[in-house]
Amino acid sequence: MSKRKTLGFGLGLRNEYYRQILEERPAVDWFEIISENYLVEGGKALYFLDAIGEHYPLVMHGVSLSIGGSHALDIDYLRQLKQLADRVQPQWVSDHLCWSRGNAHQLHDLLLLPFTQESLLHVAARVRLVQDVLERPIVLENVSSYVQWTTSSMSESQFLSELSYLTGCELLLDVNNVYVSSRNQGFDPWQFIMELPHERIRQIHLAGHSDYGQYLIDTHDQPIADPVWSLYSKTLSYLGPTSTLIERDDQFPPLEELLSELAHARAIAKSVISGATP
Amino acid sequence: MSLIALQTAFETYLTGDSALPSNELLEQIRGSTALSALEGLQIYHNAYRSRLLAVLREDFPALLHWIGNESFEQLALAYLAAWPPRHFSIRWLGEKLPEFISSYVEEPQLSPMRELAELEWAFTLAFDAQDVEALSLETMSDFSAEDWISLRVSLTASARWLQLQYNTLELWKAAKSGSLLPDITRLPTNLACLVWRHELVCQYRSLEPAEASALQFLIEGGSFAELC
Repeated sequence: MSKRKTLGFGLGLRNEYYRQILEERPAVDWFEIISENYLVEGGKALYFLDAIGEHYPLVMHGVSLSIGGSHALDIDYLRQLKQLADRVQPQWVSDHLCWSRGNAHQLHDLLLLPFTQESLLHVAARVRLVQDVLERPIVLENVSSYVQWTTSSMSESQFLSELSYLTGCELLLDVNNVYVSSRNQGFDPWQFIMELPHERIRQIHLAGHSDYGQYLIDTHDQPIADPVWSLYSKTLSYLGPTSTLIERDDQFPPLEELLSELAHARAIAKSVISGATP
Repeated sequence: MSLIALQTAFETYLTGDSALPSNELLEQIRGSTALSALEGLQIYHNAYRSRLLAVLREDFPALLHWIGNESFEQLALAYLAAWPPRHFSIRWLGEKLPEFISSYVEEPQLSPMRELAELEWAFTLAFDAQDVEALSLETMSDFSAEDWISLRVSLTASARWLQLQYNTLELWKAAKSGSLLPDITRLPTNLACLVWRHELVCQYRSLEPAEASALQFLIEGGSFAELC
């Protein structure tokens, strides 16, 4: 069984729940913030970040690193990210294995890379630079996808595995993204998970998606679907205790509904891992 | 194709008007039984616009209410073509919208539309501006007579000073409360309006002409002694 540090069961921190979290201190083991929401000078977001951070461990999760982009890395962004990390003292800092910026535009999406040797060397060099600036390993997440590049010579999971080996980066396994992509691309989600270096998996994400019958879209605006819970259960029984986080980014339900999903994740962990805590 | 060539082709497609990709890009994409290459690409193409439009709708709700969904979407798409997102944070997406309106419509719509957009963007700026503790009346009451002679005033970091030519505040308030929108009318004289944040809450206040002149004098470096 892995000896990695586990934080237990957490929720994505969203402004819809700030006040309730502070007033009621729900039984959530940790919160994950979207880093970009706090790269501001002042105001409500930073106030609640500091206040909630006094009571809960925090993890920083970014969406703008564009680690796979062919543009130059945005040093100003990295500098601000480092300043935020110094303020938050997060348990770790994560982003996505993707590109989100082109040569002229910020595309504000998590776009799939071609999984080639060229991409691998390119991303590995950038991961090293980012880790140097942030003074910690970066944790990278697999993304949902709707197409594949014909030039890919390896799978996303093989690419993540190689990247982790080359750079020491850690992995954020988004079980929902694996499921969404597997349905859209027609691959075996379990094989994807088996191909990852398990000792490098720092965290798991769970979220909901929209089912259009023929295909799925990763919308984070629905409850977690049953097949994703099943895949999570199988994953946990294989990985052992792993920090798990539920993301919700739209159609926000009462916090109690998310706490109920969190309780379900705990129950799964308890049933598949002997002696699982908390 | 190299990584940079693939990404450039994809970026050109995402940010272009047409949902039909170039053959050059399509040849680089593999579909599946669930999604053809074209269908998969179109999901990304739609998502790019939907995401950005949603942010602009959220940042300019009164403008959206006033001109309606269809006109707002046309404005937003024209804006995105002219001012595609460049900042890593989507929070800055609408920064140039008020300015863009000047080149997008003509009078008599131009000025009131721009003014409303400027008012809404002032609230966005105030929302997460630097935290600064403003002087309280209590603190000011402790100043000595000498203090008042040398005291210089500056606005709090979140403050934005707007000169309104139209009944934009009324329009904004009606849109915010979901009431019937008033007709846009030109004010007899320009109205100074301050937008700022006190602690965590954004505030606004119109100023009487004498009040506006006095405050303007002070923030330009005048002293209380000179003012009095």
